[in-house]
Amino acid sequence: MTTTPPGPRARLTGGVLLWYGVLGGAVAWAVHVVAAWGLDELACAAGSDRVLAMPLGRVVGLAVIVPALVTAGSLAVAALAWRRTARAQATGTQDRAYGRSRMLAVVGVWVNLLFLTIIVLGGVAVLVLPPCQL
Amino acid sequence: MATTSTPPGVSRVDLARLTEHWAESPSLRGWFSTVDHKRIGRRYLVTAGVFFVLAGLSALAMRTQLARPEAGLLSPEEYNQLFTMHGTAMIFLFATPMLFGFGNYLVPLMIGARDMAFPRLNAFGYWVFLFAGLFMWASLPFGAAPNNGWFAYAPLSSEQHNPGLHMDVYALGLLFLGISTTAASINFIVTALKLRAPGMSLNRVPLFVWAIVATAFMVIFALPALNLDNAMLFLDRRFDTHFFDPSAGGNVLLWQHLFWIFGHPDVYIIVMPGLGIVSAVLPAFTRRGVVGYPLIVLSIVAIAIISFGVWVHHMFATGLPQLSYSFFSAASTIITIPSGLQIFAWLATMLLGRLVIRVPLLFVVGFIVTFVLGGVTGTMFALTAFDQQVTDTYFVVAHFHYVLIGGAVFPMLAGIYYWLPKITGRMYHEGLGRWAFWLVFAGMHVTFFPMHLYGLFGMPRRVYTYASEPGWGGWNLVSTIGSYVLALGLLLVLVGVVHAVRRGRPAPPDPWGADTLEWATTSPPEPYNFPVLPRVHSLHPVWDERTAESTGEGATADRILSEGRVTLLTSELDARVERPVPMPESTLKPLVLAAALLVLFAALLVAWYPVAAVAAVVVAATIAVWLWPAGPSRTSGVATP
Repeated sequence: MTTTPPGPRARLTGGVLLWYGVLGGAVAWAVHVVAAWGLDELACAAGSDRVLAMPLGRVVGLAVIVPALVTAGSLAVAALAWRRTARAQATGTQDRAYGRSRMLAVVGVWVNLLFLTIIVLGGVAVLVLPPCQL
Repeated sequence: MATTSTPPGVSRVDLARLTEHWAESPSLRGWFSTVDHKRIGRRYLVTAGVFFVLAGLSALAMRTQLARPEAGLLSPEEYNQLFTMHGTAMIFLFATPMLFGFGNYLVPLMIGARDMAFPRLNAFGYWVFLFAGLFMWASLPFGAAPNNGWFAYAPLSSEQHNPGLHMDVYALGLLFLGISTTAASINFIVTALKLRAPGMSLNRVPLFVWAIVATAFMVIFALPALNLDNAMLFLDRRFDTHFFDPSAGGNVLLWQHLFWIFGHPDVYIIVMPGLGIVSAVLPAFTRRGVVGYPLIVLSIVAIAIISFGVWVHHMFATGLPQLSYSFFSAASTIITIPSGLQIFAWLATMLLGRLVIRVPLLFVVGFIVTFVLGGVTGTMFALTAFDQQVTDTYFVVAHFHYVLIGGAVFPMLAGIYYWLPKITGRMYHEGLGRWAFWLVFAGMHVTFFPMHLYGLFGMPRRVYTYASEPGWGGWNLVSTIGSYVLALGLLLVLVGVVHAVRRGRPAPPDPWGADTLEWATTSPPEPYNFPVLPRVHSLHPVWDERTAESTGEGATADRILSEGRVTLLTSELDARVERPVPMPESTLKPLVLAAALLVLFAALLVAWYPVAAVAAVVVAATIAVWLWPAGPSRTSGVATP
């Protein structure tokens, strides 16, 4: 089996970018839940439909769209890591860091898809329901 | 029974040194001062088992009371205390500690280490668990046990509505216990990240270890919410603060939010290690690795995270804005995908493998059937409209018993039969085990399936009796009969364990032909676990020749480490060797610290504040002595904390 080292573009094995690809969607979703739920419940409990002079529905919408974009970015990074580690493994590298990175990339792809789905499903409700309807 | 011949790759001199450094004295002091993860793990299993028996007997008393309408076996006050202690003990004193017992015993063995990362913290965690459990159960004979349900909703838990010590026992008992759970979780995380055998990169970590680590992270993030809740409840009750009193600016829903921010992840904290046990048991009885390893890791990670965003589905009947429900409804629906993924992976493993029908596999099959049924009703709760219809009915009771008995008890029983030969060095009786399985399986479904029906017929949960007119009597009688069958099955499990310990035939190191590292050492393991720390080359190290060769002839001194009480520190991601680290020896400090905490919490309970202050000083002093920099260790030559 050849031991030719993979190209430098394949060395996506540790680093912040890989972890963004694995956990970026999770963090974005956590921010989405806390922001969207918290703003909605607290503003409605206070009898207000505005936050910082903006309509509550629009603020909650932002708490959906921004995390969704961050999650989509995380998904793209995980997919990229998955492709590059696949190429690296095809060259027959023995470095076990590639196997580990590939597994993390696979986990990142699927987990980001799940989080994107949750954010989108919650976001649909923003289009349908008035913010303070009981 | 331990193998006595010298294993390949290590000399008699090295073995003698390892024994000298790792064996603990078989004295009374040695019993109290042990820091050996195997002894502590066994104690967790036995103690949690005793609390399970107490909680189970509480359930039998309740089922006997409910067998017919308007029965008078229990008074309403007794019933309130029994159902509260039943739930609290099953959740906090049985399920998590039992699974942590498996983790304690098995994680170091599965990753090829000689102990947990912090052995003294491990001993401390056990003593705190024991004392916290006794603290809570001791209140029952005095008629002062918690009586507000295991989730203790405010304002019913306030002093005004619930006078006496009942809910003080609850708040202080869980705060005390939380110290143990947190300590154990930190230990699991550091152990799994830093003590893995060389070569065990993240993609070679056994699924059981993944599950324990994910559980430990969940505990670290979830438990502070419960601790905060209980601290505020105690302050409200004892010192007249008003955290949950709307008339004084407090918020009654604050309790529910904080409780369920902990409480729903806690469902997965209980179930996740059980799922890990299933993934550990299956390869041995299907003769192949679990299908879709990366997807199961994905599932573990996804469940651990998403479980923190579903808590409001326990509050769909509290009158919050519909829009805020939708975010939690979405997460509650999607979390079924990773759970289902694991189920399909296990089914595929059984389909593609060669089944060896033994008792552990029977319990795994029982788990799949029961847990899937609980999952189906769980998905129904994600729909707000349905949830509101069945809130506080027996339908909910049926659902969570399917999830928790299916997701935790069945895997635990599979784990007990599977690892009994490793833990005791003795084989169990197959026939007794099969009888136990069928009685437990039948008893469980006969008890809890009818609860779906009389829940839908309108029977509320937590009533000490009911009138004959609604027609719930017949179904309740069926449930009661089932509960006795279930109890008989569990009794047979106990009989099987005792029989194995006393009369079982000696177990070889690997009676199942299993794949993970605990089966690469003797049954039961020596105090040092492995004479030679293995070098791992695959996900199934025992099935892998290169890993087996790494502990054979030619094993190097850097993995024998016989010069002291040391184990290997490795890197977090790829398990590259960093350096040997000294491990602490046995000590009484963990016991003293836990005992001082017991005095502190007991004094707070009975409002002896000067005694509490003295106990707090003893706690601080013990911690200071514990952490005081030590001189060179007797056995390692290196300073140990």
